[in-house]
Amino acid sequence: MADQAIFLMCSPRGEESASYSLGSYVTSLLEEKGITINEYHIYKTLRNQTKIDEMIKSVNDSDIIVLSSPLYIDSAPTNTIKIMNIITRAVQEEKIGKKKRLLLAISCAGYLEYYHNNIVLQIYEQFAKTNGFTWAGGLPIGAAGTYAMNTITSFLEQLAQLPEDDPRYEIYVKPTRILDSVIKGAVEYLSQGKVVPKDELQKLEFVAMPLESYVEGGNKNWINWAEKIGTVEKLRDKPYEIKQ
Amino acid sequence: MDYLILNGMHENDSFLQEINNRISEELDNQGLKGESILLHEKTIKPCLGCFKCWVQTPGICVIDDYGREVAKKMIQTDNLLYLTSIQFGGYSSELKKALDRSIGLLMPFFRVFHEEIHHETRYDKYPNMTVFGTLDQPNEQQELIFTKLVQRNSLNNFAPKFASQIIYTSDDALTIKGKIERGLSVLGDVNG
Repeated sequence: MADQAIFLMCSPRGEESASYSLGSYVTSLLEEKGITINEYHIYKTLRNQTKIDEMIKSVNDSDIIVLSSPLYIDSAPTNTIKIMNIITRAVQEEKIGKKKRLLLAISCAGYLEYYHNNIVLQIYEQFAKTNGFTWAGGLPIGAAGTYAMNTITSFLEQLAQLPEDDPRYEIYVKPTRILDSVIKGAVEYLSQGKVVPKDELQKLEFVAMPLESYVEGGNKNWINWAEKIGTVEKLRDKPYEIKQ
Repeated sequence: MDYLILNGMHENDSFLQEINNRISEELDNQGLKGESILLHEKTIKPCLGCFKCWVQTPGICVIDDYGREVAKKMIQTDNLLYLTSIQFGGYSSELKKALDRSIGLLMPFFRVFHEEIHHETRYDKYPNMTVFGTLDQPNEQQELIFTKLVQRNSLNNFAPKFASQIIYTSDDALTIKGKIERGLSVLGDVNG
C-alpha cells in the first residue's frame, strides 16, 4: 500500500493548464484513498534551491510520483528535462534512497491524436528505469486543451444532459468518460502499489473525431483570438524571411 | 548562412565540444560557412506556453532575449545541426530551451499532413536537419527513442532532408569521422 505521493506539475501555465487539471485529478483521487500528496509546480520550484531540496526530500519519501507535463515539439519541455536531471543526480548522490516507487506520467498534447505523446512517454519510462523507479504507465492525452478549460468532473457535469445522438456526445462525452474511467482505475492500482496494466492504458488510444473537424475547429479558435486583439491581418507574417 | 550548429552541451561536456570542433572543421573543409552557438552560455528563458508568438506578435516570441535570435537564425540557415547528449532518449535541457522557443517558425493553424494533424508552414523554406547525440555506451532503447524523436521533429519542422547519428564517448577517431560524414551527407542548399 502507498502512503505518500509527489505531484510534479510541469506546465508553465500553472493551474490554467491541462497538465494541472489532469494531474490534480489523479492526486485528488489518491488523496481520497488516504495518500498524502506533496505538490510541486516545477517552474516555481526551479527558481529556488530550498524548494528543490524540499522536492528531492519529497521524492525520497514518496511511494508514487505523478509527473504531468505538456508536450513541446514531440518531447518534454526544457524544465521537465531539468527536473528529471536534478532527480537523477539526487539518486546518484543517494539523496534519494532505494525503495519501490511508482512513476505515472501524463503527457498533454495540443494535437488531437494521442500518439504524438508516444515518444515522450518512452522518455519518461527511461527516466524511471535510469533511477530504479517502477514505471507504472503513461497517459497519452490528445486535444488536451479541452481539459485546460474544464476539469473532468465539471466537464462531465456540463455535458450530462447531452443526448447520445448529439454529435458532441461522441466528441466530448464519450472520450472524457473513458479518460475518467482509466484515471480512476489507475488510481486503484497505484494506491495498492501496483503498476497500471497496459490494456487499461490502451483504452486511451482512440481518436475522438475526424482530423478535418479538429483542424477546422482549432483554426477557428486561433482566428477568434486574433480578432479579439486585432491581429488577424498579421497572423501570416514572416518576420524573419530573408529578403532576396 | 550555410549552416547553424546549436550545441546543447552542458557545461564541462568536453566530449560534445570536441565533436562540435570536428564537425565545424569538416564543414569548413567542405567550404560551407556558418556558426556554432554554445547554448549554455546564452540566456534563453523557458517557453511560457502562451502561444502569443502565434497570435499576439505572429512569428516572434514575446520574451525578448537570445531565444528570438536563435529562432531567427534557425529559419535563415540552409542546414540546422543539433548537438546533444542523449538524456533518457531525448535531448538535453540546454538544446531544448532553444527549440521550445522556436514554435513561432510555424503557423498556429493546423492541417492534415501525412494523415496526421500538424501545423501549417509559416515560411516557404525550412532547413535540412541533422542531429548528433552522444552516449557513454550503447543503449538500444534510448537510441531507438532518439532516432524516432529526430524523425518526428523533421516531420514537424518540415526539414527537406534529415539525419541522426549517435556517437559513443568510447568511439575511436575513425569511427567518429565516419559518423560525422554520414550525418553531414544530407546537408545541402535549400534557401537558394
